[in-house]
Amino acid sequence: MDAPTPLSLEQVRGDLATFVANPYPAYLEMRPQSPMLMEFLPAGIVPGLDEPLKSWTIMTYDDVLAVLRDHDTFTSARNPFVEKGFFPQLVLIMDDPPRHTRFRRLVNKAFTLRRVEALEPWITSIATELLDNIGSGETDIVQSYTIPLPVKVIARLMGIPGDDYPTFKRWSDTFISSLVSISLEERMKNTLEMVEYFGKIAAARRTQGADDLITALVEAEIEGESLQDWEILGFCILLLIAGNETTTNLIGNMLNILVERPELWQRLRQDRTLVEPVIEETLRYESPVQQLMRMTTKEATLSGVTIPADELVTVFFGAANRDPKEFPNPEEFRLDRDLRSHVSFGAGTHYCLGAPLARAEARISLNAFLDRYSTLTHGSTPAVRQSQSPVVFGFERLPLRLHGGGR
Amino acid sequence: MRLVINYQKCRKSGQCAYLHAELITADADGTPRVIVETIGKELREAAEDVADICPSGAITLQEN
Repeated sequence: MDAPTPLSLEQVRGDLATFVANPYPAYLEMRPQSPMLMEFLPAGIVPGLDEPLKSWTIMTYDDVLAVLRDHDTFTSARNPFVEKGFFPQLVLIMDDPPRHTRFRRLVNKAFTLRRVEALEPWITSIATELLDNIGSGETDIVQSYTIPLPVKVIARLMGIPGDDYPTFKRWSDTFISSLVSISLEERMKNTLEMVEYFGKIAAARRTQGADDLITALVEAEIEGESLQDWEILGFCILLLIAGNETTTNLIGNMLNILVERPELWQRLRQDRTLVEPVIEETLRYESPVQQLMRMTTKEATLSGVTIPADELVTVFFGAANRDPKEFPNPEEFRLDRDLRSHVSFGAGTHYCLGAPLARAEARISLNAFLDRYSTLTHGSTPAVRQSQSPVVFGFERLPLRLHGGGR
Repeated sequence: MRLVINYQKCRKSGQCAYLHAELITADADGTPRVIVETIGKELREAAEDVADICPSGAITLQEN
C-alpha cells in the first residue's frame, strides 16, 4: 500500500486561530475520516525538524480509548519536541512505566479524593474572598475569578507565594501556546525563568522544610533513592501548567454554558443535586483539554486503518466526547445522559492526577456563585475564546453581569 | 476483608488496575474486576491504597 498523502492543516481545519477558538465544527468533518494523517506543523518551526511534522488524528470515542489504554503501543515517553531540546521533559505526562509508575505512586497521595476533601474549607475561603472582591455587577470573570482561583490553590498546595500568580500565568500561557504563535527565544526565556524559580524554592526546602508538596518531593524516596532535581522541577512545572489553565477553562466554560441557559441556573438554585451533573456534562461538552500526543512503538490498527511504528498520533478528547456513537445528540448539553463516560480526564495510565481537585474547585465555585447571585447575564462587551493553543479550550475574556446578593 | 467496587460510581479511569494489578484487572472495555477474593495481611496495605487512589471513590475495603 502506498503511504497516504497527508492533508495539510489548512485543508482540514482552515485557519488555525479559528480552529483553536472553536474546533467543534471541524471535528464534525474530521471525525468520520479519522484516523487520517495530517500535517501538524510546517517545516522550519522547530529547529532541527526540517520536514513538516505529521500526525495521525484520533477522533472517535473507541479509538481514543484504545490509544489511551495501551501505553505499550502508544507511548508518552517519546516526543519530537523534547528530543530536539524544544521542551523540557515533564515528569509523568511525558513518561511511561516503569518510571511513571514509581513517580505516580509517590504523588498520588497528595491528590486523592480524601486529601482533596480535607482541602475544601480553604478552597472555599479562597473562592469567598475572590467573590467578596467582585461583589455584584459587571466583571471579566476570567481575570477576576477563573484565573486566580486555581493559581492560588495550586500555589498554596506547592507552598509558593500566591501573589506571584501573574508571572505563573505568563509561564503557563507560553508553555502551552501553539508553536507558531510564540518565538523560540520567548519560549526559552520563559522556560529558563520557570526552572530558575522552582530551583530556588526546592533548594530552600532542602535547607528548611515546610508543610507543602515541594518539601514532600524533596524529602521523598523511591526505592531508597531521592528524587533528582530535574524530576522535582519537572513536577513543579507540570503542576503549574496542568493545574491552572485546565481548571480556569473548566470553570469559565461552565459559567458561559449557564449564562446561555438561565432556566438551568434557576433549577440549580433550587436543586443542588444538579451541581455535579452540570460539571460532568460541561467536561464532556466543552473539554478543557482538547488534544494530547502519543507516538507509536509498533504498527497499530485503529478503525481499520494501519498506522506504522514510530509515528505521531494526536488524541482529540473534545472530538471523542461528541462522538454520536457513544453520546446520542452529542451537540446538545443534557443532564439525562451517562455522565461518567466522557474522556476529558483521559483514561488508563495517564488519567488526570488532579481530577478530584479540579472537580472540587468547580463544585465549590458553582455553589459559591449560586449562593450569591440570583441571575447571570452577558456583560456589555463580547466574550472572546482563546485562540493561541490548540491543546486547551476556554475563554480569554468572559464579561458577565452578576445580579443580586454580592456579599 | 474484601475489596468492593461500586459500579454506579466507577468511571473506568483504569488507575486501580494500572497501579495494583495484583488486586484488580480491567476488562477490554475498561471495567475493573477484583481478582483477590479475601484480602490477607500481606495485601492489606495495597488494598487500602487502591481504595484510596480511586479518583471516583468507587472502591472500598470492607469486612467480610
